[in-house]
Amino acid sequence: MGAPFSYPQAVAIAEALARHGVRFLFLGKSGAILLGFPDTTQDADLFVEKSEDNGRAIVAALVELGFPLDSTQRGEIERGKDFVQIRTGPFDLDLVFAPHGIENFAEAARRAVVVEGMPVCHIDDIIRSKEAAHREKDMESLPRLRAFRDWLRTRPPGRA
Amino acid sequence: MSPQAHDEWIRDFEAAARRPLELRMRYAFIKTYKPVLDDAPYRAFDTMEDYRRFCESLPRWLGYGRAV
Repeated sequence: MGAPFSYPQAVAIAEALARHGVRFLFLGKSGAILLGFPDTTQDADLFVEKSEDNGRAIVAALVELGFPLDSTQRGEIERGKDFVQIRTGPFDLDLVFAPHGIENFAEAARRAVVVEGMPVCHIDDIIRSKEAAHREKDMESLPRLRAFRDWLRTRPPGRA
Repeated sequence: MSPQAHDEWIRDFEAAARRPLELRMRYAFIKTYKPVLDDAPYRAFDTMEDYRRFCESLPRWLGYGRAV
């Protein structure tokens, strides 16, 4: 179990992933928090494009950041399992290759928002994925997330 | 939800927007032990359906089970 995810780590992972050419977006409640949603969560969720090239680049970036991945784990990430949880790195990380409620990476990337250099799924996609996942914890957070989305729409463009 | 509760959320959103991202993240990311979920250093699921089945095996109070 790593330490709580922090701003310097968010910057570091965004920079490392970008350096290796990874196609990724912050997703889930961690993504909503980057957009300004005031709430608590435990780990960082990354929506990553499912392709072997992207998988190889993800592995290279994570190893560079200090995630101790063995050869089996590297292979699984490169081949793109739908969901990978890593609890042995500098922080807890979920890699989501096929999130519920989002048709494909390219569409989500087209709608994404960049916050201080970090690409984040649009709030509508974050809400859609939670609606589709339909877990108890998602159902609890959705009313407040929807209120946040409505509030965001009243803000001037470019202000998360 | 009451109008008062909604107004309180809006006040929360506005207060958060006045804080820098680094401070917001310090408040937002916490670490508490989650039984079963935190007991393996690494898990990979071939499909989201496999992951959902795993979630159903977690203690109910963690909230990862499908809402009825």
